[in-house]
Amino acid sequence: MNNTFLSNSPTETKKIAADLADTLNGGEVIAFYGDLGMGKTCFTTGLAEGLGFTGEVSSPTFAIINEYIGGRLNLYHFDMYRVSGWDDLYSTGYFDYIESGGVLAVEWSENIESALPDDVIKVTIKRIDETKREITVNRGEAV
Amino acid sequence: MKILSVECSASPASCAIIDNGIIKASSFVNAKLTHSQTLMQMIINTLDNSATKLSDIDNIAIAVGPGSFTGLRIGISAVKGLAAPTGTPCIPVSTLDGMAYNFTDRDCVVCAVMDARCNQFYNALFDIKDGNITRLCDDRALIGNELKEEVEKLSPDKQIIICGDGADLFYKSVSELKNIIVAPENLKFQNAVGIGMFTYKNYENVSTVSPNELLPVYLRLPQAERELKAKNNQTEAKV
Repeated sequence: MNNTFLSNSPTETKKIAADLADTLNGGEVIAFYGDLGMGKTCFTTGLAEGLGFTGEVSSPTFAIINEYIGGRLNLYHFDMYRVSGWDDLYSTGYFDYIESGGVLAVEWSENIESALPDDVIKVTIKRIDETKREITVNRGEAV
Repeated sequence: MKILSVECSASPASCAIIDNGIIKASSFVNAKLTHSQTLMQMIINTLDNSATKLSDIDNIAIAVGPGSFTGLRIGISAVKGLAAPTGTPCIPVSTLDGMAYNFTDRDCVVCAVMDARCNQFYNALFDIKDGNITRLCDDRALIGNELKEEVEKLSPDKQIIICGDGADLFYKSVSELKNIIVAPENLKFQNAVGIGMFTYKNYENVSTVSPNELLPVYLRLPQAERELKAKNNQTEAKV
């Protein structure tokens, strides 16, 4: 199922993400597609806020994983940019986080395409202009 | 001889105290809690509840793999910490060896399976006859279909029992075989009691290591050879 939204600002992007957060039950993997500067971290901030997390959200470029704990569900924010193989992925604890009952938000998910679950939620962000974005949320069906 | 055993290779975590072959205490949790927050308290409580001092423990046995990356590291780190002050000898045990010990009361083949995700399993097969366990293969990581084919080749005359955290998932692929069952809930999961009993029964043969030498055993996943990254055009198509 595809849902496409038009966002005119980071605030609207966060609202779209917070609405998505309301529909989550735990165990979901949200995979981001889109170039640098599209607002993936902004979207993740909206997810975290929507789940009731009150701390700071930042890109886990160096940490690979940031944990946002204390909201309705725990949110685990991954950056897979430097993950280049199955052994790397295994050693991030990715599979253990999926089991944990929290929600995973994955940047650079292209790098782990084969390890995404069948029911992954794909979020694609496209640039319309400087501030406008087209956001597509695709909910895969479990096979 | 007192053995403290610890098992947290996957979602469940457990510990036990085996005193000369008798289960003096055991504790098991399978509640999606993080082992890093629960395991040490569980070990302390189990020692306290059975009036056992850590200094009474002769050996600490630990499931060193196969298993989840995080789970194994938490268990091994905890054991290293407990064993380091007194240099208590540690005994690394295969997670799958521990599982087979639940079924020594019957003649059967035990198919111990752990979910390694993406249709992969960690597995070993054991033959049990007259209470004696014979290992039929080394611990390995393999694709679900490969394991299915092997299980189908086993003798149809012998009961096959599937156990481990991957039991229900793997059973779906072999449920049409008449001689195969999933272990009942009370015997299904890996448990520190099995790790401790394996250690006790094989005490003459198991190797002990210093806390410093204790390391996890990771099995290479078959899909590690497969492309993890999306091909550019495929990504476009999928999006």
